Amino acid sequence: MQSENQNGQEPSITLDGERVGFASGESVYEVATRAGKAVPTLCYDPRLEAFGSCRLCVVEVAGQRVPAASCTTLAADGMEVTTASADIERLRRTLLELVASENREVEVDALRGIASQELTTLVERYGAGRGRFDGAQSGRSRADDGNPFILRDYDLCISCYRCVRVCAEQEGDYAISVANRGFATQITVEFGGHLRDSACTFCGQCVQTCPTGALADKKALRFAENGG
Amino acid sequence: MSESEQKRSGSTENIVIAASDSALIDRYRDEPAPLLAILHAFHNRDGYLGAAAIEAIGKALRIPLADLYGTVTFYHHFAREEGGLQRPRVCTGPVCCQRGALEVLKGLEGAEEMPCAGRCDDPVPVLIGEDTFVVSAPFQTLQRRISSPLPVPNPGGLEECVFGAIRDPGRATLAGYQRSGGYGALTRALQEMTPTEVIDVLKASKLAGRGGAGFPTGMKWQFVREAAGGPKSVVCNADEGEPGCFKDRALMDHDPLALIEGMTLAGYAMGAPRGFLYLRYEYPETYKRLEQAMAEAEAAGLLGESILGTDFSFRIYLRRGAGAYICGEETSLLNSLEGKHPFPRNRPPYPTTHGFENLPTAVNNVETLCAAPQILRRGADWYESLGLGEHAGTKVISLSGDVQRPGNYEVPFGLALRTLLYEWAGGPLPGRKFQAATMAGLSGGFLGREAIESVTLDEPSVRAAGSMLGAGGIMIFDDSRDVVEVAREAMAFFAHESCGKCFPCRIGTQRLLERLSGDGPETLEAWQQEVRDIGEVLELSACGLGVAAGFVSESLLNNFPLQVAAFRP
Repeated sequence: MQSENQNGQEPSITLDGERVGFASGESVYEVATRAGKAVPTLCYDPRLEAFGSCRLCVVEVAGQRVPAASCTTLAADGMEVTTASADIERLRRTLLELVASENREVEVDALRGIASQELTTLVERYGAGRGRFDGAQSGRSRADDGNPFILRDYDLCISCYRCVRVCAEQEGDYAISVANRGFATQITVEFGGHLRDSACTFCGQCVQTCPTGALADKKALRFAENGG
Repeated sequence: MSESEQKRSGSTENIVIAASDSALIDRYRDEPAPLLAILHAFHNRDGYLGAAAIEAIGKALRIPLADLYGTVTFYHHFAREEGGLQRPRVCTGPVCCQRGALEVLKGLEGAEEMPCAGRCDDPVPVLIGEDTFVVSAPFQTLQRRISSPLPVPNPGGLEECVFGAIRDPGRATLAGYQRSGGYGALTRALQEMTPTEVIDVLKASKLAGRGGAGFPTGMKWQFVREAAGGPKSVVCNADEGEPGCFKDRALMDHDPLALIEGMTLAGYAMGAPRGFLYLRYEYPETYKRLEQAMAEAEAAGLLGESILGTDFSFRIYLRRGAGAYICGEETSLLNSLEGKHPFPRNRPPYPTTHGFENLPTAVNNVETLCAAPQILRRGADWYESLGLGEHAGTKVISLSGDVQRPGNYEVPFGLALRTLLYEWAGGPLPGRKFQAATMAGLSGGFLGREAIESVTLDEPSVRAAGSMLGAGGIMIFDDSRDVVEVAREAMAFFAHESCGKCFPCRIGTQRLLERLSGDGPETLEAWQQEVRDIGEVLELSACGLGVAAGFVSESLLNNFPLQVAAFRP
């Protein structure tokens, strides 16, 4: 598509007052991240299609009444974007408080997986600890799943579906999916069974992308437990 | 052996499909959008969807089993246990709750709740298997319901559009429909007009989407006509899931051919050879009526190959939802039709270019499509002039709750709400006063008494009062009702129907439900702060469901501070 705008310049957006060029097809989130902005996300994984579900990456776009999810908004020439106004930061903090409130705990062992500290880090950054929005917990851990590789500790799941998406989009296994809906959502294999009886190949991609440690590498945890 | 005890590999390789299953699958497998139709065929045959059925369907349609299982569990009405389909399901929508639905629920063995089933102008509905029953106090006998109440003429004698001929005898049959002008529009369009001329008439009439979004219909059709790629599709959104809305049901029950003519006309205007009619699960009798009307139209050469002897062909595929409010959101509906998990899609791109199977698609509401033939027959000026003042056209309002004469009323845009409530619907029940009105079904939240007396029925006026007209459902609650309890029921609905895709809606509706049920901080101030903060992030939701839930809590706090303070002393 266009590589320059009507004035013969590279297309650009204004990001917190600074002009930043972009390539056609880039999302506002991608442009902002490239420009060094620390826009928070939980459902984003650069290997996957933008999903737009956590809504933490919302930014203000001039002329739009409601903040837009930057991961699913394409950059457009002349767009004026504010990435971290006081209003936006407050909304992000509320969202993080809500997320923290649905889990058994927020702090988890870093050995659970490479992305396992994402939620913890954001909760700390926004001072969004537990306390407000007390209520029911979502997700049900599957301690009954005896496979030796992947811990399914869904008490810590925040339904970002990165595991489901990586399994489908990257691995092509389609072993896991989403059962039920709303607050009753549960990551599952067919008929609520165990990973061993499913199409799972234990590739571990789901563990690597999980931002809360709900999925964990059982071998690593065993190793640590046995004193290395 | 239970499902989870069986050893499986997740592969469909070793699954053998029984001959009787193959026959059910083959009936639909070569049609577009086969999954829902096949799931319903098995559900109706077996009375539930067991593992063997899901495995056979997954193998035949090449859908990964985990995906298919997850998708089946998404829908409220797909029973997963033997006998599930025959369990009575009682409507516990906001209006039915006020007239004894919970008593009915307790009194019927094995009964389960279902969200608003679109019969707020009738006694409390109960679904058993594929049949609708109604029951009223003292809740002794269930009465079978084959049809639904016919809208009464408005006492103001104002001219109507979609209800203009609905009371003509035999209107639901092809002969009756044609007696009162039916198929005049399609005949004229095919014989005398180019598709662009049809679109121009609609644009001039100012008809806009009557499902609530209000997008100009002519423009949408033009976008699809001009979009590259095909085959294009007309999708009728008849998934009337908004609590307090039952207008589409009345139109389809009493004037089904108007919808079929409207869809065919849309197909001609856009160059689309096929249409999908996505009907909500809770209208099984309507399904049969539509099937019959389609068969009559086909037999008369008005639907199918070479319509009226021209080279224009158009097929309609009737599909049923299975109990998911979110499927009334157009991109969820498209995913549902395609057999995918019915999460809403990110937009842009819009359905006009990337709709059904990523091809150009117009998604239109029933009322919009029913209006199109009338407009073509009687002219753009005629339709535009039906509105009051600067407003164009009409809107069907589903009015229910505490009024003398609930029902569907087709009003001119701009009519005072109080005219509808007092003069048309007979005012409040004896000795009562209006307290609250929900707008846009539940999606517009609540209006208080002052706004009820002052707004006019058009989007600018209702929006100025902090709400919206939307699909046109209005539920009235008088001064005998507990408005906080109504808000709790509304939130229970949104929490139950949240699809679970985006965080603010999935968690926020649950937390609001808990707070409206009495949980949350002890002090009124802290409680209100949490409710307001959740309402604020709900506005960031990825679709209208979460946004609507925030309207409910916000309008409760803003319009009913005394009732809230009494709830949280």
